[in-house]
Amino acid sequence: MFSIVEKEELTPHVHRLKIEAPLVAHKAQPGQFVILIIDEKGERVPFTLSGWNRDQGTVEFVFLEVGKTTRQLAQMKVGDTLNHFVGPLGRPTHIDNFGHVVCVVSGYGIAAITPVIEALKEKGNQVTTILQSPDPERLFGEEKLRKISDELVLALGGNGGIPNPTSLKPISQLVENHPEQPIHRVLAMSSFCLMRLYCEITRPKKIPTFVHLAPLMVDGTGMCGACRCVIEGKNRFACVDGPEFDGHLVEGWDVLTARRCSYADELIGQQSFQCASCSQW
Amino acid sequence: MEEQKKKPKKKLDLNRIEMPKQDPMVRKGNFDEVALGYTHEMALQEASRCIQCKKRPCTEGCPVNIEIPDFIEPIKEDNLPKALEVLKRKTSLPGICGRVCPQESQCEAKCTLLKKDAPIAIGRLERYVADWERAQNKTTLPEMAPPTGKKVAVVGSGPGGLTVAADLQKLGHTVVLFEALHVAGGVLMYGIPEFRLPKAIVQGEVEYVKSLGVELHLDTVIGINMTLDELLNTEYDAIYVGTGAGLPMFLGVPGENLNMIYSANEFLTRTNLMKAYLYPEYATPLKMGRRVAVIGGGNVAMDSARCALRLGAEKVDVIYRRSRAEMPARLEEVENAEEEGIEFHFLTSPIGFLADGRNNVCAMECLRMELGEPDASGRRRPVPIKGSEYVTDVNTVAVSLGNAANPLVPNTTPDLQTTKWGTLVVDKNGKTSKALVWAGGDIVSGGATVISAMGEARIAAQAMHEYLTG
Ligand SMILES: Cc1cc2nc3c(=O)[nH]c(=O)nc-3n(C[C@H](O)[C@H](O)[C@H](O)COP(=O)(O)OP(=O)(O)OC[C@H]3O[C@@H](n4cnc5c(N)ncnc54)[C@H](O)[C@@H]3O)c2cc1C
Ligand SMILES: Cc1cc2nc3c(=O)[nH]c(=O)nc-3n(C[C@H](O)[C@H](O)[C@H](O)COP(=O)(O)OP(=O)(O)OC[C@H]3O[C@@H](n4cnc5c(N)ncnc54)[C@H](O)[C@@H]3O)c2cc1C
Ligand code: SF4
Ligand code: SF4
Ligand code: FES
Repeated sequence: MFSIVEKEELTPHVHRLKIEAPLVAHKAQPGQFVILIIDEKGERVPFTLSGWNRDQGTVEFVFLEVGKTTRQLAQMKVGDTLNHFVGPLGRPTHIDNFGHVVCVVSGYGIAAITPVIEALKEKGNQVTTILQSPDPERLFGEEKLRKISDELVLALGGNGGIPNPTSLKPISQLVENHPEQPIHRVLAMSSFCLMRLYCEITRPKKIPTFVHLAPLMVDGTGMCGACRCVIEGKNRFACVDGPEFDGHLVEGWDVLTARRCSYADELIGQQSFQCASCSQW
Repeated sequence: MEEQKKKPKKKLDLNRIEMPKQDPMVRKGNFDEVALGYTHEMALQEASRCIQCKKRPCTEGCPVNIEIPDFIEPIKEDNLPKALEVLKRKTSLPGICGRVCPQESQCEAKCTLLKKDAPIAIGRLERYVADWERAQNKTTLPEMAPPTGKKVAVVGSGPGGLTVAADLQKLGHTVVLFEALHVAGGVLMYGIPEFRLPKAIVQGEVEYVKSLGVELHLDTVIGINMTLDELLNTEYDAIYVGTGAGLPMFLGVPGENLNMIYSANEFLTRTNLMKAYLYPEYATPLKMGRRVAVIGGGNVAMDSARCALRLGAEKVDVIYRRSRAEMPARLEEVENAEEEGIEFHFLTSPIGFLADGRNNVCAMECLRMELGEPDASGRRRPVPIKGSEYVTDVNTVAVSLGNAANPLVPNTTPDLQTTKWGTLVVDKNGKTSKALVWAGGDIVSGGATVISAMGEARIAAQAMHEYLTG
């Protein structure tokens, strides 16, 4: 059993949980995720770590209420327990001294990028962060990201099913100024549709662009193949070979997105992931 | 009658007793066990057919050499404790192996009565004895050796891991069993469906292992939470790796990643481990269309096909590139699948999948094959027939080609020697190339049977015990 030791509502339907899980905290690295099961009849659902404390044996993540499990999680209180909690899963984000790194984030990526930026700063990188949020009401995490990044660009709005979100403007701008004002790496933790567009923006100038792919997962240990992605013509499993991949090598975005949104239809009763009001934006 | 012509000493009884089963029309709508087990009378009658051969060919056919006539004889005298004792000398999982062993190619393949087409139903009798024990509901704890002060880590709680853990704990060592998933049992829980192997039986075995004092740590991935070296450098004196063959294989044909194309592992894990057949009471869904194609001809394929049927598919087709005779699946399950109305398309191979407008699979392109020269496995190799391509409608596909060795532990243990297939290299006692580490089961074989995983575990446990006390 894994206890909830802290809970905070960041903005309506977005929450931060701190869980007692020493084994996970002990090995956690930026960009890694956990899988939890609330109770005996629960689903295995993945969440990216947004922080940890090895001494206290705790880890944190931020989640958006989108469906059954996340709504149930939102109802839980400090002191309640989760039946299962396994991790840290996936490969950590590649951290090095790259120079100037641009991070583009939306949805839970706003929180999950935190340890990544901190590690990048520790290595002496200059970090520009673009934060995409549908509207001021749903904005969260701004203060924290402003504090740890060298520069924060807010991109508010741009939702509504048309792939014209405002984060495309600042990133296009930055890419335009490259290489005079060089970008050495772009890191995106956002929805599939957005990350795909970022990759196309950076591709002509060959700016290394890494995306955090979160397809559907079941076991999270490489056993089921639900999370397979085609990278340079080869099947790779996001849960063990990823979730971070070179965005310019990702193939078949359409198919990947279709599989990702497989359960987002009336059959299962969640509209929230349909592009028109996708909660990842 | 034929047997009279040959004049055997005693008149052979060739009336192999069938095991009662749920009616196919009923069972294809539920996940309850298909085969219902022998009654007392049936077991007596079947047992009394055994002619107690001096040479014991049946025992040779069993991968762990169960003294088959010795356990059948007491059934005749209704001395089930004795029958159980004989079984337990060689197997820790009779209730499971009696149900899932491919008897037709193991023990029963060697039975003298096979020549008359009526081998003793050894598996069914084994199951009968084990089920009798379970019904008693009073597992007596075995004698435990005094503590040795040695500590062993067992990685993976499939049939192999469970067996090693029980054996070493009984011998006085302290055993900690690590499992990556949230339930112990390995393929017995996530792969083989309830209607073939009730999960209560598997969990009964897990509880037994825990009752011996084995500590079970779920949700712990060795290679991630701790590496083998970290285990050895801290508390552990030896390790057994039984991580199985958990890497799903794909066809590698165009369109294979379309929506609604699953690996059998995903399809079966959602269904069995996560209980998607009880959705929405259980939270995990499984999206499936009406026409399901299952690719493959082994147990994995049979299980996927029969799960699809029970989940409500209107039509389930099994696509296999060789012919019925080459199918590696357990014979009884092939027969069951046929009875349930699953259609088999032999000598057929998918060469691509086509999408509807929304990236869901809607059709499959196949190629017909014919059998050519035998390959390395001794089976005749399927060769494509030119120009035989055809397209057929499907809305869901379960790619059930089987699994390759689980790469997690080898990938995080540089000094563990592997073959080119990713399986671990071991000697005859299951010792790996790395000091203090043994292994067995599917991570070594690349995919075999429950009984062989159990047998290899027993041998390794003995070798580990000798090392730890030597
Ligand atoms: C590696 C990874 C990291 C993630 N990190 C976070 C995070 O830090 N914070 C956060 O809020 N969300 C994260 N997600 C997404 C999160 O797992 C899903 O939102 C969650 O599973 C939805 O569960 P639900 O029962 O509430 O919704 P459901 O009722 O199951 O489904 C709602 C929607 O969520 C999608 N979904 C369901 N299960 C998954 C799954 N296993 N993976 C991805 N999408 C799914 C479905 O397509 C559906 O449209 C991550 C996903 C992955 C794969
Ligand atoms: C669908 C299907 C049907 C089958 N039907 C039959 C049948 O009818 N008859 C038969 O004899 N055989 C059958 N088999 C084969 C049989 O199930 C296997 O040969 C047997 O289970 C192998 O046992 P094992 O102990 O080696 O590993 P497994 O049963 O594979 O168990 C390995 C365990 O290790 C865990 N693990 C893996 N990596 C780690 C790690 N890094 N850390 C911690 N834990 C880890 C896994 O989660 C798993 O629980 C079938 C297999 C499948 C997939
Ligand atoms: S363990 Fe399997 S092979 Fe051996 S006797 Fe029993 S059913 Fe036959
Ligand atoms: S070979 Fe058949 S008949 Fe002979 S002892 Fe074995 S089970 Fe009995
Ligand atoms: S989630 Fe099953 S293989 Fe990645």
